[in-house]
Formats: sequence, structure tokens, C-alpha cells
Amino acid sequence: MIKPEGSYVDLDMPKILSSKKLASLWHLMKGYHTNYLIATVFLGLAAFARTNMYLVLGRYLDQVIGEGFVGNQLLLAALNFGAMIVLQAISSFMSNWMASFTAENTTRRLRDYLFDHIQRLSYAYHAEAKTGDLLERATSDVDTLRRFFAEQAVGIGRIVFIFIINLFAIYSLSPHLARISVIIVPIILIVSMIFFKKLSKAYESYQEQEAVLTTNLQENLSGVRVVKAFARQDYEIKKFDDNNREKFNRGKKLNLMHSFFWPISDLISAGQQIYSSFTAAMMVINGALTIGNFVTFNSLIAWLIWPIRNLGRLIVDTSRAFVSFGRVSEILRAPEEDLFSSTYEPAEGIRGEVEFRNVDFEYEKEHPVLKDVSFKCEAGQVIALLGSTGSGKTSLVNLLPRFYDVTNGSILLDGVNLKEYSRSYLRSQIGIVEQEPFLFSDSIRDNITYGVHREVTQEEVEQAAREAAIHDVILNFSNGYDTLVGERGVTLSGGQKQRVAIARTLLINPRILILDDSTSSVDMETEMQIREALDKLMANRTTFIIAHRIQSIMAADLILVFDKGEIAQCGTHEQLLNEPGMYRDIYSIQTRIDSELQKEIDSVNIL
Amino acid sequence: MSTFYDESEYDDNVTSQGPVLRRLLKVLKPHWKTMLFAMIGIALVSFLDAYFTILNKRIIDEGIAESNISTLVRLFSIYASIVLAQSFGFFLFIYLIGLQGERVRYDLRKALFNHIQKLSLSYFSKTPLGWIMSRVTSDTEKMADLLTWGIIDTTWAITNIIFASIYMFTIEPKLALIVVLSLPLMIIVSFKFRVNIYRHYRQSRKANSKMTASLNENITGVRVVKALRREDKNLKAFEVLSTEMFRESYRAAFLSAIYLPTIQTISAISLVLVLWQGGLMVSGTTLTVGGLQAFVSYIMMILWPIQDLARVYAEMQNAVASSERVFSLLDTKPAIVNRENTLPPTSLVGDVIFENVSFHYEDGEPVIRNLNFQVKQGQTVALVGPTGGGKTTTVNLLCRFYEPTSGRILIAGHDYLEYDLQNIQSRIGVVLQTPHLFSGSIRENLRYGNLEASDEQVEKAAKLASAYDFITSFEHGFDQNVGEGGNLLSVGQKQLISIARALLAEPDIFVMDEATSSVDTLTEALIQKGMHQLMSGRTSFIIAHRLSTIKSADQIFVIEDGQIAESGDHKSLIQQRGIYYNLYTKQFRHDLETKFDPFIDAGTEANTA
Repeated sequence: MIKPEGSYVDLDMPKILSSKKLASLWHLMKGYHTNYLIATVFLGLAAFARTNMYLVLGRYLDQVIGEGFVGNQLLLAALNFGAMIVLQAISSFMSNWMASFTAENTTRRLRDYLFDHIQRLSYAYHAEAKTGDLLERATSDVDTLRRFFAEQAVGIGRIVFIFIINLFAIYSLSPHLARISVIIVPIILIVSMIFFKKLSKAYESYQEQEAVLTTNLQENLSGVRVVKAFARQDYEIKKFDDNNREKFNRGKKLNLMHSFFWPISDLISAGQQIYSSFTAAMMVINGALTIGNFVTFNSLIAWLIWPIRNLGRLIVDTSRAFVSFGRVSEILRAPEEDLFSSTYEPAEGIRGEVEFRNVDFEYEKEHPVLKDVSFKCEAGQVIALLGSTGSGKTSLVNLLPRFYDVTNGSILLDGVNLKEYSRSYLRSQIGIVEQEPFLFSDSIRDNITYGVHREVTQEEVEQAAREAAIHDVILNFSNGYDTLVGERGVTLSGGQKQRVAIARTLLINPRILILDDSTSSVDMETEMQIREALDKLMANRTTFIIAHRIQSIMAADLILVFDKGEIAQCGTHEQLLNEPGMYRDIYSIQTRIDSELQKEIDSVNIL
Repeated sequence: MSTFYDESEYDDNVTSQGPVLRRLLKVLKPHWKTMLFAMIGIALVSFLDAYFTILNKRIIDEGIAESNISTLVRLFSIYASIVLAQSFGFFLFIYLIGLQGERVRYDLRKALFNHIQKLSLSYFSKTPLGWIMSRVTSDTEKMADLLTWGIIDTTWAITNIIFASIYMFTIEPKLALIVVLSLPLMIIVSFKFRVNIYRHYRQSRKANSKMTASLNENITGVRVVKALRREDKNLKAFEVLSTEMFRESYRAAFLSAIYLPTIQTISAISLVLVLWQGGLMVSGTTLTVGGLQAFVSYIMMILWPIQDLARVYAEMQNAVASSERVFSLLDTKPAIVNRENTLPPTSLVGDVIFENVSFHYEDGEPVIRNLNFQVKQGQTVALVGPTGGGKTTTVNLLCRFYEPTSGRILIAGHDYLEYDLQNIQSRIGVVLQTPHLFSGSIRENLRYGNLEASDEQVEKAAKLASAYDFITSFEHGFDQNVGEGGNLLSVGQKQLISIARALLAEPDIFVMDEATSSVDTLTEALIQKGMHQLMSGRTSFIIAHRLSTIKSADQIFVIEDGQIAESGDHKSLIQQRGIYYNLYTKQFRHDLETKFDPFIDAGTEANTA
């Protein structure tokens, strides 16, 4: 039964999220309810077997003292006792097994669900969300839920079962004993709940200091050159020692709480037990109970009182599980991006004609990022977007794969409104090469084939890599195409990453291309190679270039100069040169640079 | 560095446990009295635990069976007093041992941190930051746990088994033999289970860190995931990881679920035998009812010390491995240490001379070859050249972060090996390319340059570095919090603060690695001004990227392949029309392109000659 079962898809998330806390957690276990019920039944059986074991022991002792056993009755009685232990053991095992089976499966499904949900949340959601926070919720909060299913839910059930069955058994021995034995129970429960609540606060403060200490250490290590440059070792030692001591002090406080709680609660529980036990002993002497009853009672009362302390802890932990569930459901409530609604898919594929009609776009209300943008281009044309940071270039290209949708106006692709196409289909037709592309810590081959949804031969991969001028670089790595990218393998330079992304896009073979042509962080030769690779990539594709250099702009069929979200100038290179404006200013740069440089050199020679 | 440092990459195969264990026990040496006290205390508690059963036996046999109320009252009074005394004992030794644990953690962390401060830069360039961090954080925890609760639990468990066995033999040797013979089986089974559970638990931790890393990557790369429609495939890949996590975690849980029931079942065998044979004895009156009852209690309770033993045993191997790593860090010798008979602390004002200096990190791969130059007191030197040419190594040698493998460096007339290391490093001011600030206020960061500086001095330095205006514009001024690593400030602001910090230190020699990242024009001008303040009157070495810095230098060294390829001032080098000329004109073009292009994105223009 080690293979996990069930798929996350059958989770009815709306139902889970709309239910009350406990019911939500119950719905989350969907598919494992039977297992959980089995776990519960065995919990009861285990409690019953344990109680019965002591009853059997009592009867056995009375028999031994009294008329004695005849023949093999003694062995049978002993075996009966052993059988109860074994029944108890098997039942405990079954309930723990079923509970952990449920807990692990439920958690695994929730993890998968969350992973998938998070990657399908909208672009806007991810722009806002903090990675660390998302991660924290998807890992440690989910683990808190796992512990709820595996430990708290079962633990509370176990204690309640034991309590009820034992109380019932004691009652059957003597109602009076049952009454006097539970006096302390509410007190212990309340005391332990208060204690564990306080403890968890103190523990948090201890953990916080641990984090401070870790940060201190990390900053010291990453700033080791500064420490050495100012010879501040003694200062650093003192700083760390202060933080270290603070952690020690908080640990001391935590420890003091433990040192008081355990002995005191021991004392209270033991007081109850001694009182009950003495009463029972007197009853035996008075003839109201047998010695066997006394032994039984003595064992049952221990199981009645001592687990209550733990119940306090479990209840406090459960409230933490509810908090965690709240944090997880905040993520789950956020709507996923709809990838597949709208079904228009031209049979012959798209050509790549793009038209913007009076497009307005804003991330937040009243803060327009694009204002009344209109232009049209033919399939296969190159459109250069120029403008300073924040002028709207990036926002414009983000509209094409429908990472965001327009606020007003419309975008037409081959004459059809973009919203008619499903997001999934659109994205399959659009390739993006960013300035500093994100690569995954897989092999280089995996990164190149990352966007292709079919089997790719090694020849194809190499062909793409050659065209992207990265093949030779890859062969120089120790494991060639199997070399891992990132911490466990090679660290690629910005230019190399960009070429891997170019190879990746070549394999996808999209009709529309979005490029960030900044290549400033590479040397001349590499820059040439990247240029050539980009030229190959752009051939026959409608290309939107966020342009940083003259060469790509000059070759463009349409140049859009953006200023504060609006198209300030638009036209071809020749057209724009003939009108006054920003464009003409840029174009004259090279000639100006040459003359400035000459002046500079001359000035040196004259000096 | 990695946030998800994979701890479980290290296996726990310790070469030989003996020496490590002996050394581990030495950690306790300063606290041996407390430990001894606690161990005696726990042995006493353990004795009383075993004695309770005897007391119960006597309550049944001498009190109840004899219907002797006064004996009954007396026995219950003894019982109550022992409980009271034991609670007090519990309090004492939970307190002592817990405190002990905190103290050992504190001591270990302190020893490690203090030792780390002594290590040379070369150690940090070869050792991942995460590795060092794990030694100080998690390994010390494991060691402290073993040294406190590990020892205490073991003591309790062993004495408890021994006391219980002795009592059983005094009650009835034949029955006791049955129980004692079953012990080895229970102990072996327990150990096997515990070791396996612990192994799967560790595997699940490993799987968990892989899973977290994958999730992290998917969130940071979500733009690419969406653009390339990788959702389905990524989910499949994640499912592999989450299934692995499930498998290990579930196996650990399954083994835990079956573990206790298994040893309970084994104990059931001895219980049945005891009840059977014991029943016969009671009928034959060689055994009392209380005695028989005591046996049942002992057998049931002996499962606890056995479980404790097994748990400590399973965790011990891991803790010993942790200790070995911690000790190996403590044993690492700093590569650079003071020579004997160093000069007393003194100023470093004077010429700087490199005499045939060569240096390599690895044998056969020279980084600096036969470097010779002389810099007069107060001159500014600009180091230029390609990345990897040796500029940074040159200044690292000057700061004595590394020492030459051959040749000498003379500062103010002495071989710098004659100076005290601290003396050199505190008299040379360094401003790094990516300024590193510490969490805390701006004032605290500035004072890093001079711990004794008064508020006036701090403000004066800030003014000289042109940082005063932006600092006072913050809500809390100099007390503004800079965030972790200074990340609440902009790059330019961090640079200005690091310049002010260096000014406050009033170094004799100034070393700067000029930043390549771009800042706005105004901040750039402020930085230049601050640098001039630092350079004036001081011998300065600048790894230069700004043309204005390079041009104004007294000497320019073009460093290529660990050698000085060209040297001279700006004018003579331009006239040579060599490497420098090319570097300069290229950088000049680039700077102008940046300057003239109104569309260029901030941050993309970073480039160096």
C-alpha cells in the first residue's frame, strides 16, 4: 500500500473552502474517509482491549486467590490476558497505520494541489505575492496540517475513547469510585491548556531569537571581507555573543516553564491517583471490592488521569492547525488563470497580423499604464518598441500572451479578438526571450527542450543550439548537454543564458516573438554571435523588440516610440528621421560619439 | 548562496567513533559536576520508579490482604512522600539538564563563531556559506541534545532496567529469569526499528528540501512557466518529488505505527508465561498476589526504558557525525597568521613596494606573476584590465587577505609580514564593489569604521561622504534601520554609506573596488566627491571603472594575466596607443552611448573596461 492513491483533481475545493473549519479539514480528506473511519474504529477497539486486559487481570487474580484454577484453566486465563495485549497492539497499529496513511496521502494531495494552484495563479497575483510567504504557507503550514491529521485528530480521539471506556469500566466496578476519580480531570485539562498555550508563545520567542542569531551569522559570513577590512573580529564576536546569550536566556525561560509544569501536574495527577487508590483499598478491606478489582482499578485510573495532560497539548496544537489552514486557504481562494476557455484555434495556424485598437491598460484603477494605443502590423514584420523605463513597453508585450487583459479597446490577431483565443493556445504561438532569461536547475538539454511539448531528438537540440551559437560553449562543459544549470552545476553568464533561451525558442518555433535585445553585459564577439542568432530567430516571425540599440531599430518595419504610456512617434526609420523628435536625437548619437572621442584624444595629445 | 542547503548530502559514516566520542565528552568537562549531580538524581528517580511497584505489592500483600488499615495508611503515606520528593527532584533535574543543554549550545556556538572569525579569506572562498551555517546552527543542537538528554535518558533507562530486574529477582528468581531472557530480544528489535525509522525520517527531510527547492524555483520562474505552458509537466515533475516525500514519510510513520505493538506483542509472551507459572506459584503459596501483580507492572513498564535506549541509539550516530563535522571546523587552522615578534601597532604611512610578488591559489596556476611596482606615499593608483586579469588579487594581497607565495610586499619600509595582522587590516580602508551593510541603524553601520566615534564624528564623516543629506531625509535619520544586508537602501546609498564608513576609520592606505552598477547621475557625482575625500593625502589603490577616476590617477597599471602589461599616467598611455588606448576608447564610447540614449533602461549599462 505504499503507492499513493487518488489524484488531487477530485478535490472539491469550493466545498472545502466554504465549509466550517473542522468540516473543511474533513472534506480535505476526501477519498480517505473510510480509512479514517477504520482508524477510529480501531482506536475504540484498542481502548476497549486495553481496558478489558486489566479486567481480565483482575478476575484472574481473584481466581488465583480464591478457589484457584482447575486443569489448564490457568493457562487459558493467562492466554486470555495475552490475547488482549495482542488485540490492543494490533488495534493500535491498525489505527495508527490508517491514520498516517490518510494523513500522508491527504497531505501529498494537498501539496500537489497547491503546487499546481500556485503555478496557475494569475500573473497579477504573482507580481504582488512574496515568494518567501507563499513558500512558507505551502510547506510549513501544510506540514502543520499533516500533523493535525496524523497526530492531533487521532490523539484526541484516542484519549477520549480511553477516558470514556475506562470511566465506564470503573463505574461498573464501583459508581462511587468513578465519581471521586474524575474530580481532578477538568483542572488538569485547563492547567495544561494554559501551560501549552504559554509554552508555544515562549517557544516562538525562542525561535525568533534563533532566527536573529542565524541572520547575524549569515551577515557575518557574507560580509567577511568587511569584517576583515576593518579588523572588527572582536566587535563581531561581542555582537554574536549578545545574541547568543539572549537565545540562552530565552531558552532558560522556556526550560523554567517545563521545570515547573511537569512536576506540578505530576503532583496533582498523583494526588488524585493516591486518593482514589486509597479509597479503593479501604473498600477492599470493607469487602466492597475484591483484590482483583483493586488491581484493575489502580491501572485504569492511571489511564484515566495521565493522558488528560496530553489532551491539553493536542487541543492547543489543533488551534494552530486551524490557523495554518486559514493561511493555506487564502492562497487556495485566489482564482486561477483560465487557460482553456475561449476555443478559437484556426486550423491552418496563425499568420501573425497584430492590431491594437485604442488599447488602454491599467494595473490599478486610475493608474493607466497604456493610453489609447493603436497600431497595426503585417505578419512577419518587426516592431521596435522604444521608450524609457516605465513608458509602457513591457506592459504592452505582456498583453500579447494574455498575461494581462486590456482594460479598454481590443487587440486583434489575424483579425480575431485576442480574447477569442485560449490563453494556452496563444502562449503556444508566442516565444519570449528575456534580457536575463530564467533557467531551471535541470540539465542544459532540459532547459533547451523546456517549452516543446513533444519528444525532441538530440540532433534537433544540437541544431537549435548551433543556431543560437551556444553549442560550442555547451560542449566545453564537463557533462555537455547533461550539465546541470545552477548551484549544482555550472553558473551561466547572462549572455549564455540568453543564448540558451534563444535555442529554446527556436525549438518551439512560434509565429510571434517577443525580444528584449539588450546584450550589454557581453563582450563584442559574443554580442555578434547573439545578434546573428537573433536574426535567425526573427526570420519569418512577427517580432516585437524592446529595443536598446540602433541596429535592431533600423531594421524594424515599424518603430513605436513610447512616452508615458502613449505612442509619441511611430513609423519607419526613414520616416522618423525626417521628423523632429526623440527618435532623430537618438540616431545622431553615433556620429556625436565619434567626434567627442576625437576631441578627447586630441586634448590628451595637446597637453 | 543557497537557502536550501541540503543537509542530508552528508552521510553519517563516521570513520571511527571512539576519538570523536571522547572529545565530545570533553565538551562537558566544565559542567561535570552538574552532570554528575543530574545523573545521580536520575538514577535515584529511576530507583524510586522501580520501588513504586514494590510499594504497590506491599499495599496489596501487607495492607489489603491482611486487612491492616494502619499499615495501609503508613504505606500510602510513604507513597505520597516519595511522590512529593520525586516531584521536587524532577523539578531540579529538568531545570538543571535543560539549563545544561542551553549552556552547551551556547558554548559550542560561541566557540565555533569565535574560531570562524580567525579563519582566513581563502577558507570562505572554498567553503559554501550554508555548510558553515549548518555547523553552527543544527549540528550544535544535535550535539547538545546527545550530551544532555541523551546521557540522562540512557542513564535512566539502564538503571531502571537494572533496578527492576533486581527487584524481580528478589521477589521470585524463576519468573525474573523469564523476563530477563526476553529483554535482549526486545532491545534488539527496538534498536532495529528505531534506526530504520530514523533513516526514513532523515530521507523524508531530504525529500522535503528537494520539494521546497522545486516549489521555490517554480514560483520565481513562474513567468517562464506560464509563457512556455509548462504547468502540466512541472506538476508531473513535482509529483515525483512529493511522492518520494510521501513514500519516506509514510514508511517512517508505518514503522512507527508497528514498532510499539511489536514489542508489546513480544512482552505479551513473557506476560503469559509469568501469569501461567506465577499462578501456579501463588496457588502453591511461594508467591503473593502482590508479587504477581508487581511482575505484570514491571514487564509492562520496562518497555519505556527500552524505547528510550533505542531512540538515543538511533540519534546518536547522527549526533556523532555532527560532532565530527563541528570538530573538523574547529580544527581548521587559519591560513594567514601573525609571524613571531611582530612590530608594535604603528602607522602605515609610507611607500608601498611590491617586489617580485607572485601568487597562486592552486599549484601550477599562477594568478600573479612577478609583480614589481612602487607607489609613493599619497599617490593614487588605478588598476585596470580585463576581468580575471589579477586586479582583485593584487589588492587582496595588499590587504593581506592573502600572502604572496613568493616575493615581498613592503609598506612604510617594512616587509608587511613583520606587522601585526590586525594592525595592517585596521590601517587599510577598503570599499568594496558591492557594499555590504549589516542589519541595524545607519549610525551603527557607520560606526563600524570606528567604534569609538562620537555622534559628531559620525555626522562629519557622513557630510564628507555627501551621505548626510539623504540620511537626514529619512524619518529616523541616522537611526534609520537599513534592513537585512542593507536592502532597504538603494545601491547608491549603500555605496555612500560604505565610503563614509571608510572615512570614519581614517585609514593610512585606501583600497577601493569601484562599482560597475549604475546609479543616477546625481548620486554618481556624490560618490566621486566622497572618493576624492578618501583619496586625498592617502596612498590609494582603485580598481577603476570610471573614466574620471582613471584619468586623475597618478599611476595607471594595466593588469593582464597577472602581470603589469602597461603602466604610466593617462597621457603617456594614450599616446602609446596600446591596450590602455583600446580599453579607454571602448569605455568612452560606451559611456557616451549611455549618456545620450534617453531610452536606455537603468541597470543595463553596466560594463567595464
